[in-house]
Amino acid sequence: MWDYDKKLIYPVRIARPDPAMAKLIITQLGGPDGELGAAMRYLNQRYAQPYAQAKAILTDIGTEELAHCEMIGAIVHQLTRNLTPEQIKQSGFDAYFVDHTTGVYPQAASGTPFSAATLQSTGDAIADLFEDQAAEQKARLTYDNLLRLLDDPDVRDPIKFLREREIVHFQRFGEALRDVQENLDAKNYYAYNPSFDTCASRRK
Amino acid sequence: MTEQQKALQDVRQAGFAMIDAGMFLDSHPTDETALQYFHTMHHQYDKAVELYEKNFGPLKLKSAGKGKTWNWIDEPWPWEGV
Repeated sequence: MWDYDKKLIYPVRIARPDPAMAKLIITQLGGPDGELGAAMRYLNQRYAQPYAQAKAILTDIGTEELAHCEMIGAIVHQLTRNLTPEQIKQSGFDAYFVDHTTGVYPQAASGTPFSAATLQSTGDAIADLFEDQAAEQKARLTYDNLLRLLDDPDVRDPIKFLREREIVHFQRFGEALRDVQENLDAKNYYAYNPSFDTCASRRK
Repeated sequence: MTEQQKALQDVRQAGFAMIDAGMFLDSHPTDETALQYFHTMHHQYDKAVELYEKNFGPLKLKSAGKGKTWNWIDEPWPWEGV
């Protein structure tokens, strides 16, 4: 189970609102490679992992992703405080505004609502860990794209932190994958499904 | 019930009492009886956690690794129904 720490994992203090950027950054909450999808992907994949290290890594990274969701929420919230109707119209935030006012809603930059269709939980330790490494790279490049568009150092700073964590997580998933593969039967040349095939239903 | 399951149940009972009382206090922040109850459960919780972790391993990340290896990864994990 979890309990809540009344702090952000990394500080978010943004002086100037920027609703146009908020509408892009929200993709890292509810978009195809966002933090919400990451948390759901890892925390739900844990059950099928056969080995201790990967269970721990998925638990710990999945937990950190929940903290990242909160950071994105904080960034979007602070970027959309005290807006005038003119700012809302001119920034292109109006389409979001009519549906959600300045509430934080998990959606992609395109406006598509969050969908579990952006993630998998295959029940296969190796397939899942390869997906997880890819997911970290996709999230990293999304942060790179945001940094190409962002000028405000107040916003760049927490985004850079989040980008760096994607790289660290990619490393950890690589190590988890290596551990799973080292645990496989040497005759399992194609490195397939160590979770399912070691259980009672295994067919020779 | 094993000794470990009993020790964990003590943690769980006091921990859940704190969650439930905390929720009540969110909407009744000046309720003295509830505050007192929260403190009592908090004390019980700390004692139960200490006892559990001394004998059966870490419940939280901060309690892990007190020996020579990183025992956070030790099995079973909570979802395994052990």
